[in-house]
Amino acid sequence: MSNETAVSQVDKPEKRDPLGPLFWVCVGWATLTILASLLANWLPIESPITQDYTALNQGPTLHHLLGTDDLGRDILARIIFGGRISIGVGFGAMAIGFGIGAPLGMLTAYRRGRLDTIVTSVMYMLLAFPAIIATIAILSFWVPRALPKIIVVIGLASVPLVYRVIRTATLNVAAKDYVVAAKVQGASDRRILLKELLPNIFPIAISFLLIGIATVISLEGALAFLGLSVNPPTPSWGNMINEARTVLSTDPWLVIFPSLALCLFLLCLNFIGDRLRSYFDVTEVKL
Amino acid sequence: MLKYLTRRFITLIIIVFVISVGSFYLIHLLPGNPETVILGIGATPLARAQLAAQLGLNKPIWMQYFIWANHMIHGHFGESFISQTSVSSVILRTLPIDLELIVLSQIIAYAAAIPAAMRAARKPNGWLDRIFSAGSFVLLSIPPFIIIVLLVLLVAIKFNIPHTGPSSYVSFSADWITNLESLALPAFTLAITSFTVYFRTLRSDMIATLQEEYITMARSKGLSRRRIFWRHAFRPSSVALLGASGINIGGLLAGGFVVQYLLAIPGMGYTLIAAINQSDFLLVQGIVFVVSVGVVLINFFFDFIINIVDPRISRE
Amino acid sequence: MSENVLVVENLATTFHTKGGPVPAVGGVSFSLGPNETLGIVGESGSGKTVLSRTIMGLQPRTNVEVTGSVLLNGHQMVGVSEDEKRKHWATEVAMVFQDPMTSLNPVMRVGKQIDEVLRVRLGMPKDAAKARAIELLRLVGIPSPEERYSAYPGQLSGGMRQRVVIAIALACSPSLLMADEPTTGLDVTIQAQILNLIEQIKNDLNMSVILVTHDLGVVATRTTRLIVMYAGRIVEIGTTRDVFKDHRMPYTRALLESSPRVSNASHTRLQAIPGRPPNLLKLDQGCAFAPRCAFATQKCHEERPELEETGTPGHLFACWNPLTTKIGA
Repeated sequence: MSNETAVSQVDKPEKRDPLGPLFWVCVGWATLTILASLLANWLPIESPITQDYTALNQGPTLHHLLGTDDLGRDILARIIFGGRISIGVGFGAMAIGFGIGAPLGMLTAYRRGRLDTIVTSVMYMLLAFPAIIATIAILSFWVPRALPKIIVVIGLASVPLVYRVIRTATLNVAAKDYVVAAKVQGASDRRILLKELLPNIFPIAISFLLIGIATVISLEGALAFLGLSVNPPTPSWGNMINEARTVLSTDPWLVIFPSLALCLFLLCLNFIGDRLRSYFDVTEVKL
Repeated sequence: MLKYLTRRFITLIIIVFVISVGSFYLIHLLPGNPETVILGIGATPLARAQLAAQLGLNKPIWMQYFIWANHMIHGHFGESFISQTSVSSVILRTLPIDLELIVLSQIIAYAAAIPAAMRAARKPNGWLDRIFSAGSFVLLSIPPFIIIVLLVLLVAIKFNIPHTGPSSYVSFSADWITNLESLALPAFTLAITSFTVYFRTLRSDMIATLQEEYITMARSKGLSRRRIFWRHAFRPSSVALLGASGINIGGLLAGGFVVQYLLAIPGMGYTLIAAINQSDFLLVQGIVFVVSVGVVLINFFFDFIINIVDPRISRE
Repeated sequence: MSENVLVVENLATTFHTKGGPVPAVGGVSFSLGPNETLGIVGESGSGKTVLSRTIMGLQPRTNVEVTGSVLLNGHQMVGVSEDEKRKHWATEVAMVFQDPMTSLNPVMRVGKQIDEVLRVRLGMPKDAAKARAIELLRLVGIPSPEERYSAYPGQLSGGMRQRVVIAIALACSPSLLMADEPTTGLDVTIQAQILNLIEQIKNDLNMSVILVTHDLGVVATRTTRLIVMYAGRIVEIGTTRDVFKDHRMPYTRALLESSPRVSNASHTRLQAIPGRPPNLLKLDQGCAFAPRCAFATQKCHEERPELEETGTPGHLFACWNPLTTKIGA
C-alpha cells in the first residue's frame, strides 16, 4: 500500500518487453544453420571428405567458398556436415536429458512423498559427481567411439541437472495459490499438471533447454580436443578446430571459419534463451 | 547456525562416501579382470598374484571396497604401472598447480567483475553498462577452448610465448617470475569465463537490491551514496555472487583440463588426460576421486561463507 | 515566537512516465509548528505517500519533477542537490516507514543499524554509540535491549521491528518525524502501542509529527490538525476537530461515513464511496471528485475549485458546493 503512486492507476497494463528485432535475427540464423545441417545431403556442395589435391590449403575461392584444408577438403562442406554432429549431439543429448529428467522432476515435485525423497536423494548424489569428469571417464573407457554413445553418455549425465531445475521450478509454481485453489476445486491431478503447472514451467524449461543445448555443443567441442569425439575423417566443429590448431600461424582460416560457425550458433541459442526468459518473466524489474 | 553446519557436514560425509563407491567401481566397469587393467597386459603372474592378494580380488566385492577404502584413507592410492610412481605422489605434485591456476584466475576475475558490476548497477543502461553486458554475453557464448585458440593466435604467436611442445611451467618456489609468466595465459583464459558469470550475477542482484525499501531508509539516514552502495547493498547482493562462485570454481577444478592440456601446463587436469590416453586407469581413478571430493568441499566451503554473510538461510 | 518547523508552499510532484506526465501531487501548501501533530489522510492513490516522500526529499531520482518550496527549519529542500538534502536527513527530519520487514536491512544486526546513524551523523565513537543505541532501544520499549542489540531483524516480531525503526529515526533527535502509515502492517493490538509510543516520544523530545494514514480512527485522537487529500491535492485542511465536526467538502464526509463504527447497530451496511479513484494520467477539468460526488453541480465538472477559508482561520476547503451542516451540538 505504501508505495502507491498515481502511476499505478494507469489503466493500460504494462506492455511486455517486446522480443525485439535482434531476437528474430538470431532465430533466423539458428534455423538456417539447423536446416543446412539437416538438408546437407541435398545441398549443392562438395562432399566433406573428398580430397582435392589440386587445391590444397587455399583461401576462399569461387569454387571453394570458404577455402580448403590441408587435405584439399572443402571447408564450407565440412562445416555444414560438421554441424550435423555438433547440433545432433546438442539436441540429442538434451532430448534424453529432458525426456527423462523433466517428467521425473515434475512428477516428484508435484506428488512429493516417499518417491520424491528417494529419487531426489539419488539425483542429488549424482549431481555431486562433476558431470564433465564422469563423461570423460566413461567415454574414455567405453571404446570404440560412436556418435550414439556420445549422445547417450552426455544425455544421461545431464539428467540430474535437468531434474533439479525442473523440480525446483515445479515446486515454486505448485506452491502458488492458484494451484492450491485448483486442487481445492477438485481438479484432477492430470488436469492440474497439464493446465496449471505445465504452462507456467514452460518458459523456464525452454530457456534452460536452449542454454543446455549450447552447453552440450560446447562440451562436444571440448571432447573433440581430447580426442573423445567422433573419429576423423568425419567432421565436427570441435575436431575441425582441433585439427587446425597446429597450423594456426600459417592458415588461420581453418580455425576461424568453424569457430565462427560454432560461436554464432551458440550466441544465437543463448540470446534466444535469455530473451525468452525475460519475456515471460513479467515480475522481473524492467530497467 | 551450528545445527545447520552439522547437518551440512553429515551430508558432506555421505556424498564423499557415495563418490568413493563410484570411483572404486570405475575399475570394475572395464572389460577384463582388474589385475590386467591395473598392471597392464605384460605383467608377470607373480605381480598379478601379489596384487590380487593386496586388493583381495577373490573376496566378495563389498569387501574389496573396504580394503580399497582403507588404503585410500591411509593415502595409498596405488602405484601406477606406467610411471612406476605412486598415484598419491603424482596427485600431490600436480594438484597445487591446479589450485594456483584457480587462485590466480579468480583474483583477476573478481578484481575486474566487482568494480564493473557496481558501476553498471549505479547507472543501469548507461553506456558502460551496455558495453559490459553485451560484451559479457558474447564472451559467454565462446567456449573456453576457442578463447584459448584465439588468445594463442593473437598473443602467443605475436609475442613468441611457447604454446606447443614441452611445458614452460616452473614451480613457484623455484622461480616465481617465470612461474607467473607461464600461468598468465591460462589464468587469464579461465578468468574470462568467470568474469562473465560474476559480472552478470552481481549486476542484476545489485539492481534488484537497490530497489528495496531498506535502501531508501538508509538514504533517509543521511548516509553517503558510497556507504549505502557498499555497506548496505553489496552485502545482500554478494550472496548470489558467492553462490555462483562456488559452482564456478568447482567447475574450474573439474573442467580446467582443457586449458591445461592446450597450454601444456602439467596440472592435475593435464595429467588426467595423459593418464586416459595411456590407459593408466589407477591414476585416472585417483584423480577422479580427488576432483570429485574437491568439488564437494568447495561447495561446502562456499555454503559456509554464504551463511556468515546472510544468516537468514540457516534459520529457514 | 517559535519558528515553524515546516513550511510547504505550492508543492507539486510530477512523474514523467512513458504514458505521459502524472501529477501525483499538486498545489500543496501548509505549515507546521513545533510540537504539533499533523495528520494526512486519503485513500490509496491519493498521493499522500508521494507527498510525504517529496517533503522529505526522498522521491526517486529519475523522471521526477518537483516544484514549489519546502522549508525545513528554514532550509530549502526543493531544487537542491542530494548532498544538500542529506545534511538535514536524520538530524532534522526522519522517517518511519510502513513495513518494518522491508525497511530494515535484513543482513545487518539492528544494533549496528542504529549505531551507524549515530557514528556517521553525530560523529560518536564506537562505544558511546553502542551505549546510546541500547538506551534508545530501551526508550522505545524493547525488553532486554542489550541482547536485542545483536539481533537480526528477522529474529524480532513485527512490533519490535517497528520500534527499532522508530529508535533509528529518533537517534539524532530530529525536530520532525514523518510517519508513513507506521502501523498499517501490524496487528491491531500492536498498532495502539506504536502510536502511543510515537506520541509519548513526541512529547518527551518536543518533536513535530506528520502522520500519514488512510485510517481515520488513528487520526481522530492523535492529531491536532488534519489534511484530507484526494487525487494529489488538498481538499480540506483544518484542526482535527473542525475537519471531523464541521467539514465542508463532501469527500471528507464520505470518507468519515465509510469508516465502520463500533457504535453502529449490527448489520449496518458499509458505506462505500461509489466509483473509483481517478486516473491521474487523464484528469478531466473540474473537481477530481465530481464524478463520484452526490452533490456535484455543473460547475463542479467544469472548473476545479481552489481552497477557500471557512469562517474559522486555518480551516480551508476546496468545493463549489460545500456542505453547510455542522455535526453535533
